[in-house]
Formats: sequence, C-alpha cells, structure tokens
Amino acid sequence: MSFKAYRRLFGTVRRKYPINRDQEKSLPIFQYGVSNESYQRLYAWGNIQTGALGIPFIRQNESVDKVSCLRHPKRVTFGEKHNVTAVACGYGFTVFGVENDEHKLFGSGLNTDSQIGHHEINEGKPLSILFYPKPIHLSLKNSTSKILKLSAGRAHCMALTDEGVYLQGNNSYGQCGRKILENEDYLASSYVNHIPNVDGKKICDVQCGQDHSLLLTEDGAVYSCGWGADGQTGQGHYNNLEVFTQVGGDIANEKIIELSCRADFVLARNDKGEVFGWGNTEYSQLGPDIEEQQVCNPTYIKSLKSFGKITSIASGGSFCLILNENGDVFSWGFGILGMGPSVEHSKVPLPIPKTLFGKNDFQPSSEVVKVACGTSHSAAITNSGDLYTWGRNSNACLGLGHDKDQYFPFKVSMGASVTQVFCGVDHTVVLSKPFI
Amino acid sequence: MLVKEAPVIWNLLKGIVCVYKPAEITCENLRKALLAKICADLNNMECRSISERVVIEGNPLEKLTVNVVPNLADHPAVVGPRYLPDELPASWSNYLGWNTCGILLFGLREGTRTAKYLRENRPMRAYKLKGTLGKATDNGLASGKVVEKSTWKHVTKSHMEKLLSSIQSSHQKQMFQLCGVDLQSQTAYDLAVQGPIRPANSKVPLLYGIKCIEFTPPNFVIEVHCINENESYLTTFIHEIGTKLHSTAHCTALQCVRHSCFTLEDALLKKHFTLQNVLTNMEKCSIKLEENKDLLYQKSASLTSINTE
Repeated sequence: MSFKAYRRLFGTVRRKYPINRDQEKSLPIFQYGVSNESYQRLYAWGNIQTGALGIPFIRQNESVDKVSCLRHPKRVTFGEKHNVTAVACGYGFTVFGVENDEHKLFGSGLNTDSQIGHHEINEGKPLSILFYPKPIHLSLKNSTSKILKLSAGRAHCMALTDEGVYLQGNNSYGQCGRKILENEDYLASSYVNHIPNVDGKKICDVQCGQDHSLLLTEDGAVYSCGWGADGQTGQGHYNNLEVFTQVGGDIANEKIIELSCRADFVLARNDKGEVFGWGNTEYSQLGPDIEEQQVCNPTYIKSLKSFGKITSIASGGSFCLILNENGDVFSWGFGILGMGPSVEHSKVPLPIPKTLFGKNDFQPSSEVVKVACGTSHSAAITNSGDLYTWGRNSNACLGLGHDKDQYFPFKVSMGASVTQVFCGVDHTVVLSKPFI
Repeated sequence: MLVKEAPVIWNLLKGIVCVYKPAEITCENLRKALLAKICADLNNMECRSISERVVIEGNPLEKLTVNVVPNLADHPAVVGPRYLPDELPASWSNYLGWNTCGILLFGLREGTRTAKYLRENRPMRAYKLKGTLGKATDNGLASGKVVEKSTWKHVTKSHMEKLLSSIQSSHQKQMFQLCGVDLQSQTAYDLAVQGPIRPANSKVPLLYGIKCIEFTPPNFVIEVHCINENESYLTTFIHEIGTKLHSTAHCTALQCVRHSCFTLEDALLKKHFTLQNVLTNMEKCSIKLEENKDLLYQKSASLTSINTE
C-alpha cells in the first residue's frame, strides 16, 4: 500500500516501529535548573589581543595572536565563577567589581601603567598585559565593603567603594588625584591612591575621561582633576590639576546626578533633566551657537531645551547621545551618528527614528531606556532587554558578526536580556540576566 | 440560484476562493473535494444540450431525405458528465501542511495567475500555535513518540514573554540581512526607517510578531506573524521554546488565522462547499484584492498595512 493510500485510510503516518504509548509512562522526568535571582551573565566582544575581554583564547588550541577579535558576544567564564556587580571598560583593559570576601576588584587587559594593579611573576618584571582577570588588592578596612561603581580611562582606573575612591594607574597629568612625579615608573609602582571623601562629603559617583577624573558627591557637586588642555576639568583654566577641585561654571548651584565622559568632552545631567557640557568642543558638542574649540567652564546646552527632561546621557569621542523621557534618542557631533551613511556631522541634536530601535506594529511598546558610548561606537538598551549598537566597528566592537561600520542602530544577537552595557575603545562588555 | 445555465456559471468561475482547511487532510485532497463539488453542481444545472448531426437517408437512386438528429455520441451517458474536475484548473497560493488547519486560498481558472502572484509576493500569514510543556516528541507534534519528559512548573508567563520578545527582535534583525541590500548603504537605512521589510529570498522563514496570547500551564497559545514558514518550522519553533525555557514542549495544534487580508471569517468551510457559496466567496475575495492592490503588485520591500475589514 502506498504511503498516501495508507494515510487516507488510517489517518496517521505509518511507522516501522509503531508507538507504544505505555512506554511513555516509564520515561524519567527531567528537572532542568533555573537560575538564581541575583545571577548575572557577563558577555564580551571586540579586540581580544589586548586581553581586555578576560577570555584568554577562543578554543583550547588557538592562541590569542592568531585571533584578533571576537565578532559575536561571548560568555566570559569569569562571570560564572564570580558574582560580577560592576564593570568598567578602559582603553584596552577591563575592571570587574565582584561580591567576594577576599578580593573585590579584578582586572584584565593592558597594564602598561599598573592601571589594573601590580602583578609580578618574576621579580622586577611586572606584567604589562593580562589575559585573564586577576585580583587587584585594595586596602579595604571592612571585608563587607562593596564596590559601588567602576570607571576606567586611557591608562587609569577608579573604583568607588563604601570606603571612598581608589585610583591607580598613570598619573602623568594628575588624573589619579595625587602629586605628579617626574619620570615616575608607573609599571613598577603598586601605589593605589585612596580618597575617602572630598571636602568632607561622601562620593557617590566616579567617571574617568581619557586622562582626567571626575567625582560626584552626595550634594550634586562635581570635582575634577587631571589633564586640562582642552578644558575637560572645567575649572576655568587649561592647566593640569593634581588635586580634586570643585567644578564651577553653570553647574555651581546645580544638583548633578549623572556624569558621562569617554574622551575629552564631559556631559553632566542635573536632577531637573538639564544637560551641561565642557571640554573639547571642536565638533560642536555644545550646540551650534558656541564657536570656541575648547570650553573650560561648564555650559548649559541650550539646543536640548525643547526635548523635555533628559533621562540618560552619553558622551563619546566626538559625538554625544541623549535620551529624553519620551524615549527619543538624539545624537549630534561628528562621526557615525546613527542616521545613515549620509549624516556624518551635525551641530544640532538629530533624533534617531524609533523604528531603528525595534518599535513597529509588532512590538509597539519597545522603548530605549539607556544609552552608552565608546569613543567611536554607541549602544542603547531597550525596555525588553535588547541591545542595539552602531558606529565605527574597530575590531568588531559592535558584536554584529562582522567588522564593517554600522550606520544605524542594529540589534546584537544575545541569549539574555541586557541590563548594563560598558563600551571601551575597541571592546564592549555587557551584564545581562538569563531568560529563566 | 437564479441562473439556470451551467455555461454562464462556468464563465464566472474565475478568481480566488478562500476556504478553511481542516487538519489531517492534505491540500491536494481538499482541492479534489472542492473541484468535485463544483463540477457536480455544475452538472446538475442545465448543461449544454446534445449536439446535432445531419443524417442523409434514403436510396441514392431516388430522392434523399436530409434530417437533423441528436448526436448520441455527445450524450452525457456516452461521453460522461459535461464538467470534469480535471478540466477545471485550480492551484493554491499558500501550502498548509497535513497537521495545519486554517485559511487556504485557491485560484480557479484565470485565478490561478492571481494565486501565483500572491504566492510570489510573500504576504504575511498569522498562525495560532498551541503547545504543551513537559513532553518532547520525535516529530514535534502530539501524534509523535514521546522522547523526553521534564518538569514545567517553574515556567511563568513573564519568562515566556521575555524569551519571545528576544526571539522576535532577533528575527526582525535578520530581515535586514535577508532583504538583499548592503547594510552599509543609504538604501538600507531608508528601508530600516520604514519598519519591517519582506525578505528577498523565499526559502528562509521569518517571524515578525510573536506573542503569547494564552498561558495556562502546561498549555500555551502563541500567535506568530510570519513569512516563508512551513509546518515543520513552526513545530520546531515550539520545541525550541520548550528547551529555551529549561523544559520541553510539543505542538498540539497549528491554525493559520490570517493570510494577508483574508481572515477566518472569509474562509469557506468544507461542509459549505456549494457552487453558490463558492461564487459568493469568490466575489468577496475579488473585492478584497481590489482594495489591497499592493498584495499583487508591490511597490516597496517594506511591509504595508493591510485592511482586513
């Protein structure tokens, strides 16, 4: 009997070995695990040769020198062994803050200036590159103290803990908040600068620029030190600063709640949702009405006035990104702004269409909740936990599976919902939650 | 029916018919049933009368008589019924598998061309997929052999929604990669701004909208909007959802609830296959196609909104 004739008669597919329905009852019932509430997954992609991803090799028999970059998001095994709560991406290195009694801070990647601690295997020969996260010793008094926030610049890093800020790495411009020493050998030094508070006020946020550092205190005051040649310290002068000093200008009487800086232009947001900026403004980051190339006083950005309350800010190397309360993303400056290959430069903030962030008839409630910037690439997280990236794709730091530039936001394929994204120069690290 | 002559009706039988395909029957058998019913109804009407032939009789040496008599060789009892299913061209514009039920479009006679255009324009279909957690079968359906059993009590609706929204946005990302445009070009940007777009390829299944519309564990119902799908892809999709939710799942029912502008209300049930109903349905379908001309002649790769009313 033909297959078709059999099916017409009996209505089912003929099987060589007919199904024994009783066999089903004897099958074991598998129980698959469900992840813990607090469990976080760590993903990383981009340049692997600096060691910043914390992934020493891709396959057991493949060495780092053969593979230059990871084009797709990859789970970092370090994140499985430790409960990572904070991450910061610098220029070729990454620091991880973990919940652990013994070591609270780990670093991986370039260590040319001891920015991720002093690691010595052979005496007198400190390691200038690490391929796997290694603990960084902080002289914390309480073992219960936690890492609250991390930030990393070109060659220095800041860790905000319950006991104040710890700074380490290059101090050639005073970015570590201590005296500049002539011909200091940063690689050989293991000095970590500890600042418990500034002017007796508790520090609540830290932010590293390229070669300068910013602190935010509880009352909303901003303190800065480090390189000031472009006015990025916001002190009203262009000199380097060795001591954290309060920033004046337009933000003197404002309560600042968020700072963002990746290179030499700083964005600050106050509690009313207004945005201020200072530093290198050669790409019109302060808007079309400010002609100067460098602004050393915090200035209110007038061109953002019509966009309502701003909820998230990000400042890249030559462009800025903001998000307002309606979920609209605006970008301006120079570079890949996310509005196609034809828009390379804009003095006024331009909206990025919401359809590019996945808002359409099928998912009408998709909204951007957070924006972030690397020096030349950008990222946005939506309320459904999707990550969209765009910008220059140096060493595949966009994680889109190729190394071509992406001119509009594009979703990164990942098997988890993203909670936080950290962008470096040529790598990206993501903290995410599993679906179940 | 007011018209009594079958040839008049035959001339009207050109266009698209929207029928409801039950599960566990092939499209081919449904087509056969439809054509058999149409032809039987046509044959019951006033068909073409028997042709006549000229008979010259008599002795050739004397006067001949010329008579016109019915040509018995043309009698239905000799040549068979006037309308045969094999002579009525019909083709489907979307194929539904054996286990799938729902809307199926047939093009009759000249309508076969419309059906071809519809098929090649890749309109979007909406499916309701019913699944059950806890068991995985070898063919992804309830009829298959159970190969694995697992717990499902840990799965909540929020887990399901989180997973589905992630799958959905990944598929929407894929549609740009499949649209046949260089992603680095201005054209790609212009297309992306408009929203969802159709794939250039007819082989890769694409899911546009995925929604969990009912969740009564262990059972769930998922509504998907898709292009280029097939039955096995959808059953595998349910299986995959099960594994991603740290459990197992199999598909218990597949129903195509929408095909471009055609909804379940337009579909003609198998028990209502009569010539009158087919003609009424055909007329309704032609009005709908007239309203949505984009379905047959696309102007852009982006998806256009379709009026189903």
